[in-house]
Amino acid sequence: MIFSELYGAYYNTVAAILKEAVTHPVSDSELRKIIEKHAFGESIVTIPAAIKDERWQLLRADGTTPVKNIPSLPLSVIQKQWLKAVACDPRIKLFGDTGLDFPEVDPLFLPSDVIVFDRYSDGDNYTDEKYIANFRLILDAIKKRYPLCIETLNRKGHPVMSAIFPEYLEYSEKDDKFRLIGAGSRFGSTVNLGRIISCSPCSDPFEINLGKRNAPRPRSVKFELTDQRKALERVLLHFAHFEKTAKKTGDDTYSVTVYYDKEDETEMVIRVLSFGPMIKVTAPGHFVDLIKQRLSAQKSCGYLAPSD
Amino acid sequence: MAYSELVKNFNRVRDYMREFYVYGFKSRDEFTRKSARTYDDERRRLESWLGDYMRFCQTSEGKNVFISIDSRVTRHNPLYKAWKTKSFTDGDITLHFVLFDILSGPDISMTIGEITGKLDEYLSDFSEPRMFDESTVRKKLKEYISEGLIVSEKKGKTVYYRRSQGDKMPDPDVLDYFSEVLPCGVIGSFLLDKSDRYESHFAFKHHYITAAMDSEILCQIFGAIREKRSITLEMINRQKDRITESHVVPVKVMVSVQSGRQYLMAYTPGFRRINAFRTDNIVSVKVDEISEHFDEFQSKFDRMLPHMWGVSTQSRSGNRMEHVEFTVRYSDDEPHIPKRLEREKRCGTVEYPDSNTCRFSADVFDASEMIPWIRTFICRITEIHFSDKSHEKQFRDDLNAMYALYGLGGNE
Repeated sequence: MIFSELYGAYYNTVAAILKEAVTHPVSDSELRKIIEKHAFGESIVTIPAAIKDERWQLLRADGTTPVKNIPSLPLSVIQKQWLKAVACDPRIKLFGDTGLDFPEVDPLFLPSDVIVFDRYSDGDNYTDEKYIANFRLILDAIKKRYPLCIETLNRKGHPVMSAIFPEYLEYSEKDDKFRLIGAGSRFGSTVNLGRIISCSPCSDPFEINLGKRNAPRPRSVKFELTDQRKALERVLLHFAHFEKTAKKTGDDTYSVTVYYDKEDETEMVIRVLSFGPMIKVTAPGHFVDLIKQRLSAQKSCGYLAPSD
Repeated sequence: MAYSELVKNFNRVRDYMREFYVYGFKSRDEFTRKSARTYDDERRRLESWLGDYMRFCQTSEGKNVFISIDSRVTRHNPLYKAWKTKSFTDGDITLHFVLFDILSGPDISMTIGEITGKLDEYLSDFSEPRMFDESTVRKKLKEYISEGLIVSEKKGKTVYYRRSQGDKMPDPDVLDYFSEVLPCGVIGSFLLDKSDRYESHFAFKHHYITAAMDSEILCQIFGAIREKRSITLEMINRQKDRITESHVVPVKVMVSVQSGRQYLMAYTPGFRRINAFRTDNIVSVKVDEISEHFDEFQSKFDRMLPHMWGVSTQSRSGNRMEHVEFTVRYSDDEPHIPKRLEREKRCGTVEYPDSNTCRFSADVFDASEMIPWIRTFICRITEIHFSDKSHEKQFRDDLNAMYALYGLGGNE
């Protein structure tokens, strides 16, 4: 069972409280801090009361506990099964020897049980030794905070060298690619791992003039949605991973605003186009123009006489 | 019953979470299926769990509450929190922590009587110590045995209990990454909760998080596939608000990374065909007997796969196979266009009649599934043909409707 109190926020919170209580009496303020960190918004009302009223007989009135050891649990069967499924995934090679071997259980699923049917086919090559070595070095540099000198191929296929302070790795499930995001130099702060030719720690980081990370460029697009052919559900699910707002404006019409980053604008345009006449972009004007340009260009293709 | 932040039944949470996150435009009055009090309780719970992501807006119909999350910014799926809200009794939590402290190492082995005696000792300092009888303790131990946390051993006629061998905690980076990209990732999130002071090193783009709500359903489906068993599904038809039952043999799980939807592909004996079932419409799964024909259905599905664009296994027209082809043109400085077609073609074929033209073609069960994708090439489509002429008409009519929407003349 996944939905079990064993994995719940309250059990985790109490484990964190007892971890402190086995070494010293836990004060009220300490209790509050632990609850705020591990539990939910209103837990601050319920957990201390349950402890103080001795409904949960785990902490005495003086903040000590009869529990003698820091709470711990062995891995459950379902946890081992899921970890074993992780061990079967080809991307596990990126992380080195993980020791995820539990001979007593079968994997929860095998890669062959799951088909991702709309992932792009030119994803990163996770079996390439050089790619694996680059990935591990980058992850290490992110954790230990040191700069890297990275040689990549630019769009024209020419090698370029840049220095970057790595901050995190961004993975796209649709593209099946990793990108390194960091504070970069002249060639920007985003590097596609699949385009790296070589990667090494910068020998003298102080000599490198590192810029800032590319600042987010928030944008939004507002459109009218007509709920025909189940468009409402399809559109809202499709744009679900963005921040968005939706309002009902008529019997089958809705006004939707989606917030995105400027770097994804072209992608947004084609995603909007994919819904055909179910969506009409109303703002901003330049986004409307981008749609119009594409439609005008389509008209000029000469195709599409009116249907019968 | 008094309000509690925790819940006993996940399915109700699942429904509300979906309404607030995916749709987010309904006012209190529109949640008609349950009482107003139920709505208030569920909204309050979600606010408590997901306070940072809850948004409100006032409309003429009243106040709308919704969840708004940019999954590229948040490092961990916030919806996993819903899986960490299972309610329990006061006795459950007391017994849990004391029991595992008594059995603090795998070398400590005790009988039920010894454990119960120890429990009394632990709780003797409290003003009104709880008393756990042997049957309660035995029942709890049995639960933990099924979860794999406790092991029982018989020595002569006496049963001894000890905790299972501890395992090394996995690398937090492994948990961090795979808990977001693999099915049932919430299990990785449970493990990550145990890691102290872990800082996330990954972010996720194009990251759909709603599938998290179907984790338990998926777990059961995977279990059945691994054991080659048939299952009974309870499916909800949301439009008709009706629940139906289907007895099927699960074959594969198909996932869309462009909509976040997950589907169970299963053989339905009643229709003698393999169909798709959306996992978010599955209310419950009952695992049944081993299917003698499981391998046969899997082979059948493997043969169908080269003709599936999405998850549809039959056309609306009734034709077994539908042909689609379209041609796009591109200029010399647009090499990304053929590259796009190549990487997105799935079961289709791309040909190059000349250096500025690509022709895509495919034979699929249901060509209507391809139309949204074909529209992404609007501005460069020079020719398009569907074997089912109703699709072609629909495509042309839609395009003309788009021209009209933007004042570009429609049927000209």
